[in-house]
Parts: sequence; structure tokens; C-alpha cells
Amino acid sequence: MTDSDVVVEINELTKRYDEFTALDSLTMQVGKGQILGFIGPNGAGKTTTIRILVGLSKPTSGSARIAGADCLTESRKIKRLVGYMPDDFGRYNNMRVSEYLDFFGAAYGIGRSARNKRVDEVLEIAGATHMKDLFVDALSRGMQQRVAIARTLMHDPQVLILDEPANGLDPQARIDMRFMLLRLAEMGKTLIVTSHILPELARVCDLVAMITKGKLRAFGTLDDIMKDIQQRRTFELLLLKDEQVKRTADLVTKWLDQQSAAETLGKSDVTGAEAETMVRFSTSLSDEALAPLLTHLIQQGEVVAQFREVATDLEDAFLSVASGGDHQPQFKASAALPKTADAGAGA
Amino acid sequence: MNPVIQREFFGILRSPRSLVMLFVLTVVFSVAVLMRWPSDASADLSGLQSMEVFRIFGYGLLAGVMFLVPAFPAVSIVNEKNDGTLELLLNSPLSAGSIYFGKISGVLLFSVLVLLSSLPASAACYAMGGIAFGSGLGLLYLVLFLLVIQYATLGMLVSSYAQTSDAAVRITYSAVFALFFITLIPRAFMQFTGDWGVFKVVGDWIRFLSPLPAIMEIMGQSDVASAGLKESSTTLGFIVVTIITSVLFAAKTLSRLNYRIFDQSRAQGVITDDQELSTRVARRFLYVVDPQRRKAGIPWFLNPVMVKEFRCRRFGRMQWLLRLIAFCAVVSMVLTSMTALGVKGLGVTNIGALLVVLQVMLVVILTPSLASGLISGELDSGGWALLRMTPMSARQVVTGKILSVIWTLVLVLMATVPGYVMMIMIQPTMVVEVQMVLICLAWTAAYVLAVSAAVGGMFRSTAVSTTMSYVVVIALFLLPMIVWLRRDAPFGRDTVEIALMSNPVGAALSELETPGFETYNLLPAAWWVAAVISAVMFFVLGVQVWRLTRPD
Repeated sequence: MTDSDVVVEINELTKRYDEFTALDSLTMQVGKGQILGFIGPNGAGKTTTIRILVGLSKPTSGSARIAGADCLTESRKIKRLVGYMPDDFGRYNNMRVSEYLDFFGAAYGIGRSARNKRVDEVLEIAGATHMKDLFVDALSRGMQQRVAIARTLMHDPQVLILDEPANGLDPQARIDMRFMLLRLAEMGKTLIVTSHILPELARVCDLVAMITKGKLRAFGTLDDIMKDIQQRRTFELLLLKDEQVKRTADLVTKWLDQQSAAETLGKSDVTGAEAETMVRFSTSLSDEALAPLLTHLIQQGEVVAQFREVATDLEDAFLSVASGGDHQPQFKASAALPKTADAGAGA
Repeated sequence: MNPVIQREFFGILRSPRSLVMLFVLTVVFSVAVLMRWPSDASADLSGLQSMEVFRIFGYGLLAGVMFLVPAFPAVSIVNEKNDGTLELLLNSPLSAGSIYFGKISGVLLFSVLVLLSSLPASAACYAMGGIAFGSGLGLLYLVLFLLVIQYATLGMLVSSYAQTSDAAVRITYSAVFALFFITLIPRAFMQFTGDWGVFKVVGDWIRFLSPLPAIMEIMGQSDVASAGLKESSTTLGFIVVTIITSVLFAAKTLSRLNYRIFDQSRAQGVITDDQELSTRVARRFLYVVDPQRRKAGIPWFLNPVMVKEFRCRRFGRMQWLLRLIAFCAVVSMVLTSMTALGVKGLGVTNIGALLVVLQVMLVVILTPSLASGLISGELDSGGWALLRMTPMSARQVVTGKILSVIWTLVLVLMATVPGYVMMIMIQPTMVVEVQMVLICLAWTAAYVLAVSAAVGGMFRSTAVSTTMSYVVVIALFLLPMIVWLRRDAPFGRDTVEIALMSNPVGAALSELETPGFETYNLLPAAWWVAAVISAVMFFVLGVQVWRLTRPD
């Protein structure tokens, strides 16, 4: 990605509240037409980052730029460039959807005739044309999310920052939301989307940023992150009887410890679930090193019904990164950037 | 113990505001009594001195009940409904009766604490002698306790209908204010017009809804709106009416504490433009401005926030404003035309005074409800962050909001101009006085707007900002009148004059030479005071807005 393709540029962004560090040297870049999935547990620093980007909060140090405009010093430009959809809808009672959008259009200085046209356009993009005459305070959560997207699009911003857009939506509404996000990216908009519903993000994001305790733990394309995560794979052993579980778990633990010590790898995690007659373990051993394990178990008299690798998804990746805590190696933002030609491919 | 009582009562007590309130009340009552405590060694056998102290203390308690009690019941059901906890309560084995009883008991227990905070002062009052226990102190506490029950049941009834907590607070305080003052007007009006037979009886019963005549009777004063003769005991009337209304309020609220409270379909967003031709034609005749017609966009020359404010208010839509204006115009014309028709004893100045009082009441009721939530309403709804993200400056946002209040007030005040014009036509020499009165009313509106907006802007929750704005505004208008009521003793002429200068209402009444106000020279000092206070309040609001628009 060339410098001209970079739309959102965050550099060493830090935010401290007295002793508490909400954001710690966050660095990342997002290109034009890309969708960034911003993932982290509650209180990780996602909203702090977003608030700095939209000019509602001031960083302690570092900088953030959107389409070349400084988020702190050029707030008027930022307001034109960014469409922000906070988690809170921003409900005005007794207003119809068309009046609500008309108000925000007027607040952005759009002329009356252009505004009327724009209201119809954004409602069409958001799939909310039928809601035009409904009262804003009578909308369901899913309807509100659509209207909020429409409101965010009123002034045709380059960058959309959406805080939990899939929150509280039913499965159909989530699918619709996913298509809407892809459509916006196709229109050349850059999107930063936070969500707790990780499978939803995995399907639409070109880039993923994982943040915990204010630190960026992983950043890059989903494939890149998966490759890193999959250095440590998870396997399951399905047994026949529940009394086998503890015995097998002990055997596996001992065997893995011996192998890991020989190959100077980290300790493996082994857990047993008697109810499922299953032993689950994660390891960094290669296929060649791991292959004798099944033979070993059979030699010890254990009957194994299945021995399989568990496919890793974004949720596992996130859990793996999140459980890594402060010891997790941090990813280099620039190294993880995707090629712009591939933008949208992950979707 | 009913778990709802425990939660409600301790919930109120846990709030630091409640504790501060109780502490301040105890100190205020004690200081008031101490200030009037006899400094010489001679005994006042007539009991006049102790009665003076008793009156200050009694009116103070009445004001305390009026200001503090309605806020708690007003939000008790609507908050639970909006937070989703009312569904949990109704789904629990608790009956609707025990939920209601628990909630109202919590409020009543707190109100009893408010009354108890006055006990040291009342004991001192009683110790001074000259005040009967049963027909004096005891009766005062009985009346106030019944008033607390009435306000609590009223607040909960409003709360069961309201959709938001600030609407509940607004409507409850308006209703309390109406019960307190407006119920006195019909009887006061008949005082001038003579005996109207059955209407007089109705007027009497309506007057019993107000606690003021009963309290004045207990204080040994001729009560307001009485005909000078003691026709019947207002205290007994008040007790009967209060018990009946409280039972009715409670029964109505109880009948709503079930599925009915949630059983509302979402508004379907019907639009007249999409209706059949016959419906469209019928609505064209019924409405001057049809609320269901599709609106054109906001024109470029109007502040978008101002338009948004009008559209967001349930009663801010044009058809409601037109109705309010028409009502004000009709009332002012009727009152003035009665003078023209030579109704017995009704002079132009009396009508003028009545118009002024009605207008001030309207301003005091209307303005805090419009202006107190200018900032907190946005913070509550999440709209503030969205407004900050638009290119509009904070100044534009606040100007739009204030303009929306100013326009409403201007329209309402202008609606009464025909009444004043008729007054001038009847008595052409009154041109200057009417001009002065209109200026006083304009200043009153600006003053109430500034105070409501500034006080409301200090709080993040709309319900709290509305409550505090009402308390401050009503106090600012009521206290000078209480001082004026006690103009012979204990307050001297200078004290009363200074108190009346604190807002422009006294000046308006004085200009009209209303009986009791004609001796005070309040202009232009009252205008200056209003101007300075309004300027300071707008400055405070500006600082608050500036603070809220800075990046965190």
C-alpha cells in the first residue's frame, strides 16, 4: 500500500487518565475501501481510540490522521470526512425518520433540495426506505441501526466509524448489516467497525486489529493473523469411556512435556472433559513430531475413537491473543498491511 | 418487610442529594426560629411573637414539601419501566398492590424525614408559648402529611403514564403548581364578580385543592381568595378533598400496574399525504397545520437545532402552539371584555393584575419544562455526541435551542396583547402602565429562561435538571411573594421592596397599582436586577457548554 492509499493513520497513540493507561502506543494504518475489524474485550481501549479519531477525545501523546487531516487540530475537516455511529443511537422523540435525517443533513449544511434527494439515497443504501415516515422513538433496535447508518452517510463521508453496528440484531438483520458494510466498502468508503460478534467481522473484514488493555496485540489480514495463531494448534482426542479421560490426559501431558523439552518449545495445555469423553490439547509441535502420540496412547492400552485437529477461527485467534496478555509479542503494523489490490477479497 | 419499601427508601437515602437536603432543611428551620427568638427577658403574653416564628416555619415547611416531595414519586414508576425492572417486579410473586404500597411507602418515609427535620424548630416554637398543640402544630403537621400523600399519589399517577422521566417531572411539578395556585383563581375571580350561586360552591371546592388557604387558616390569617368572612373551615375542606383525591390517584395508578402499562403498540407513522382524498380533505378542515403531513426540509435561513427542538416536543408542534396561543388570546379577551361590560367590582387594574399573574404562572410553568433540558436532554439521549460531530459550533447549537424557547414564549405572551389593547381602549390613560407591564413580562420570560437553562445545564440527567430548575424558579418567584404577604410583620417596607425587586413581577403589579403593591417603587431597579441575573446565568450556561464541547 502506497502512502496515498492510506486513509486512516494512527501513530504511537497513547491516552492516559492519571495512572491508568487506556491506550498504549497504538500504531496502525487503514487503506481506502478497506474494512478494519477492531476487536477487544470490554474496556480494552476501542472506544477511546474511536473517540480520538473523531475528535471527541484528546490523546496524551501520538497522532492520528484521517485523509491527511489531523484528528486533534483539524476537527472541522474531520467532521466532514468522518461518519460516526456511536453505540448509543441518539434518539430524538416525536421525530419521523425523514425529519431526523433532514435535521442532520441541515446540520452538515446540505441544501434543502439536495438534502431531500440524499435522504432517499441513504435510506435506500441502508435498506430503510420503508421506515421514512415512522417515528424514530418507535423503531426496533435493528431498525434504529439501519437509520443510524443512514444518518452516518448523510454527508457522504470518506470514512465510516461504526461502534458495535451488529449489537442486538437478529440473525437476518446481521446478514443484512454484513451486506451493507460490503456495499459501503465497494463504494470506496473506509470502514472501522468494532464488534463483539467475531464471526460477523471475520466474514467482512480485510484487516483485523486486536487490542487488550490498551495495547495492540495483533494487526493484519485475517490470514496473516491465523498463520501466527496456528503456530500453536489445537487437537482433540475422542475416547470411548469417561473413565479414560483423566488417564489419557495424564499420558498426553507427560508425552507432550517430554517432546516439548526435547524441542525447547513452550508448555502444552491439556484439558479433559469427562462429559464429552474428550481430551483437548494445544501445542506448537509439528505434524512429524506429533504423529507418534497416537501410537503411544494405543501402546498404553487406550482406545481412541477420533484424533483430529480443531479448525481455528477469529474467535480462537482472539482468545489466543487475549489470553497472551502482556507477554504476547506485539505485531508490527506496517508488516501486517495487506495489498490494496486484495481489498475486499477477504469478504 | 416489603422488599420494595426497603429498596425505595434506602435508594432515596443513599443519594447524597437527599442527605444534603435533609441537613440543609434542619439548619434552615433552626436558623429561621433562632433569628426570631426573643432577645430580651420580657415575656410576650399575647403570643404574637411566637406566632410570627410559627408562620415563617409553617410556610417554610409548606415550600419544602412542595419543592422536594414531587420529584421522587414522579420518576419512581417511569424509571423502572424504562430500565426494564418493572417487568421483573410485575413478573415476581409481589402483587401490584404491594409494589405500589412499597414504592409509595419509600417516598412517604422520606417525606416523614423531611417533616421530622423540622421537629427541633417546631419544639422551640411550641416552647415559646402562644401556639396550641392540637389546633396549631398538630394540625399543621396533619395537613402537611396529607399534602405529602396527595403529591406522592399524584406523582406516581403521572409516572405511570409518562414515557420519560423528565416528562414525568415536568408534568408533576406543573400539576403541583396548578393545584397550589390555579385552583385559587376561580374563587378569587368570583370575589370581584359577586355570588354566582352554584359556581361559588364549585369555586369553593376547587379552592380546597390548594393547601394555601388551609395553612393560612392554621396560621391565624385570613386566607387568600376568601370573602373576608369565615364561611366554612378551609382546613376541613382541604382534608376531605385531599383524602378523596389521593384515593382516586392511588386507585387509578393501581389499575395501571399490570400489562396495561406496557400494552402500547408502536406508532405506525401514518401520513396524511398517503391517505384517501376524503381523509385528506377532512383533515384540511380540522387542522390549520396538520401534524401528520409530510414536512418540507429545514430551510437554509433557519437554525436546524431550533427546528429540531420544536419537532421533538410533543406539544412543540405548530398545531399545539396555535391552540395554546388561541387559548391565551381568548382568556385575555374574555377577562378584559368583562370590564367593558361593567361586571360588578371588576376594575381595569384588577383585570390587569389577574392577567399578569396568569401570564407569570404560564411562564413559570412552561419555561423550565422547555429550557431545563437543553443540554441534559441531549446528554441523556446520546444526541450530544452526534451534534458535536456535525460542523455546527457549540454557539449555533445553543442559540438554536434558546431560540426555540424564546419563540414559544414570545408567541404565548403576544397572545395576551389583545387583552391589554382592550384595557387601553377602556382606559386610555393606561398606555404607559401597559407598556411598562409588557416590558416587565418580557424581562420575566428572559429571567426564567436564563435561570432554567443555566440550572438545567449543570446536571447530566434530564429528570434532575428539570426538578432543580423548577425548584429554583418557583423559589425565586414564590419567596418574594411570601415576604410580601408578611409585609406588615415581621418584614419592614424596605425588606419587602428589596425582595420584590428580585424579579420583575412585583414591578408589573406595582405599575398596575394592584392593591398591596401600589406603594413600592420598583422600576427601573427590578429591570436591572433581571438583566444582571439573566446575563450571569447565560454566562454560566455558556461556560458549561464550552466545557462540554472540549475534547475529553
